[in-house]
Amino acid sequence: MGLSEDERWALIDEISRQTVKSGGYKQTLGDVLGELTVKPLTGIPVAIGVLYAFWSIFGSFAGALMTDGFMVKFFDRYLLPWIQGMWPDPGTWLYFIFVGDPVADNCFEAFGVLTSGLFVAIGVVLPAVLIFYLMMTVLEDSGYLPRLAVLMDTFLHKIGLHGYAIVPTILGLGCNVPAVTATRILETRKQRFIMMTLLAIFVPCGAQIGIMLKAIPDTIGWVFLYLLIGYGIFGFVLNKVIPGSNPEILIDVPPYHLPAWENVAKKMWNRTKGFLKEAVPFVLFGVLIVNLLYLGGVIQWLSDALAPLFVYWFGVPKETTGPLIAAFLRKDLAVAQLAVIPMTAYQMISSVVLVSIYFPCVATFVVMLKEGWKELVAAVGVLICVVFLYGGLIHLIGILLGVA
Amino acid sequence: MEGNPGGDAGNGSTVLLIGNPNVGKSMLFNRLTGVNAVVSNYPGTTVDFTRGTLIMHKKTYEIIDVPGTYSLEAKDLAEEVAIKMLNEHRDGVVVVVLDATLIERGMYLLFEVIERGFSLVVALNMMDVAHDKQIAVDARRLQQILGVPVVPMTAISGEGVKDLIDILRKACVTDVMGIKSRLSGDAAETPAISGCTGCGRC
Repeated sequence: MGLSEDERWALIDEISRQTVKSGGYKQTLGDVLGELTVKPLTGIPVAIGVLYAFWSIFGSFAGALMTDGFMVKFFDRYLLPWIQGMWPDPGTWLYFIFVGDPVADNCFEAFGVLTSGLFVAIGVVLPAVLIFYLMMTVLEDSGYLPRLAVLMDTFLHKIGLHGYAIVPTILGLGCNVPAVTATRILETRKQRFIMMTLLAIFVPCGAQIGIMLKAIPDTIGWVFLYLLIGYGIFGFVLNKVIPGSNPEILIDVPPYHLPAWENVAKKMWNRTKGFLKEAVPFVLFGVLIVNLLYLGGVIQWLSDALAPLFVYWFGVPKETTGPLIAAFLRKDLAVAQLAVIPMTAYQMISSVVLVSIYFPCVATFVVMLKEGWKELVAAVGVLICVVFLYGGLIHLIGILLGVA
Repeated sequence: MEGNPGGDAGNGSTVLLIGNPNVGKSMLFNRLTGVNAVVSNYPGTTVDFTRGTLIMHKKTYEIIDVPGTYSLEAKDLAEEVAIKMLNEHRDGVVVVVLDATLIERGMYLLFEVIERGFSLVVALNMMDVAHDKQIAVDARRLQQILGVPVVPMTAISGEGVKDLIDILRKACVTDVMGIKSRLSGDAAETPAISGCTGCGRC
């Protein structure tokens, strides 16, 4: 017992001298690539290229090929008319809850549990989540993530984090739940708190991105820009306000290797299974709750009560109250609901940003609670301030640009 | 949770996979148990522990995949989890997983585990990468010096995993004094090593 650090290292030196023989160092292709992707001069263009490729594959596969090419046709032409025709008595509340609008000609507008609910979960979000996880798995398994962490380190230090915060951020783009747990790799409480708060507020999950791509394909770029700017601004502010340290770290960069397809397949399967088991019931349940609240007049009452706030402060129609309630259950569902409310393009951008930042979904909420209730309470406090300040700011920008 | 009476105490049925981040503990865990722990190529994938079971020679082992750590002084929450797991399973078997290309780094943690008196086995993982990098590790000499079984293996392809399973019940405690004397070549301390393929009882 009780060796000192130096004694340990001395022993280790001697052991490795006696047991390890290294041949001459040969630079491999992997080493060269490793260098190129870490040095800023070449690394930043590579990072932009990688993210662009990520995005365009995501958009063309999930958006164009699966959703528009197959799912929309299937749901709107076959499933929707079939259910509308089959379910008896369009006037009843059961019809309203499960089928929705009897004359709707697409699954976005119908808004029943079995029409929009299934369409959002299976038709739009599932393909998006699948392709997203496939690409994320490749990023994870190839060894690119830690290199991105090295590149991002300087920027992330400005917002109270270090390079490694890119890992929870990217995981969060898939789902915020594992991302919150992944904040444990950050060293101080301050860092973890900042990361968790930013995740909950500014990082949209894969399901949400998938549905945005379908619902607002032309303006999704603006939504992302607002979220990214918010991530930067509020990270910077939190860093100044919150006490605690933000130490430098040494990042251990593993060698590149080709992802083993077996592992990729296994991870894809686990994540997809997780999605089907946890997210799909929540979407269906969410539609049910929202429809019940509509029937009970609760949403009407709330949107009248909140109308001044929504209309004058945030500059969005008061009908967005309903989606904001749904957003607590599932954000993808909320965006789908927003898509059918008539409003201007800028109002749409504002309201989608509001849905993203206003509250974490219930699953994220639960894991945050597991990481510490004090942090959760503080994060919610920050969140409320952010929603008011940033929501107002976005409205103000719209006014100044003359588009609000 | 110190001194956990009965249960898994004494019979060594709990096996903890310990090692630096990104040395392949989760991959090994999946190989051993068939449970799917998430595996990625970046340090810090596992931030919480995962449990699974391995049944071998009618004996059931509980395998625990522990978050990677560089030392037993916690720097972050994931490392705290690792240390807590060790403290809760004082009589479990520890498999210290080393990256064969970076054994110096992993040995710091190995020594901390040795000093705490755990019964252990060393898994010398990533032999394939070491081979590609022309790094040769003399596993038998390492075993002789350390006085615990050392199993060369490649978790990603499954090579050597069987050997590791077979050797689990030969896990043993070693001590720093013995290591020092064997290191300086006092042969008196190393009986019966020749012809032995790794029972570690030497």
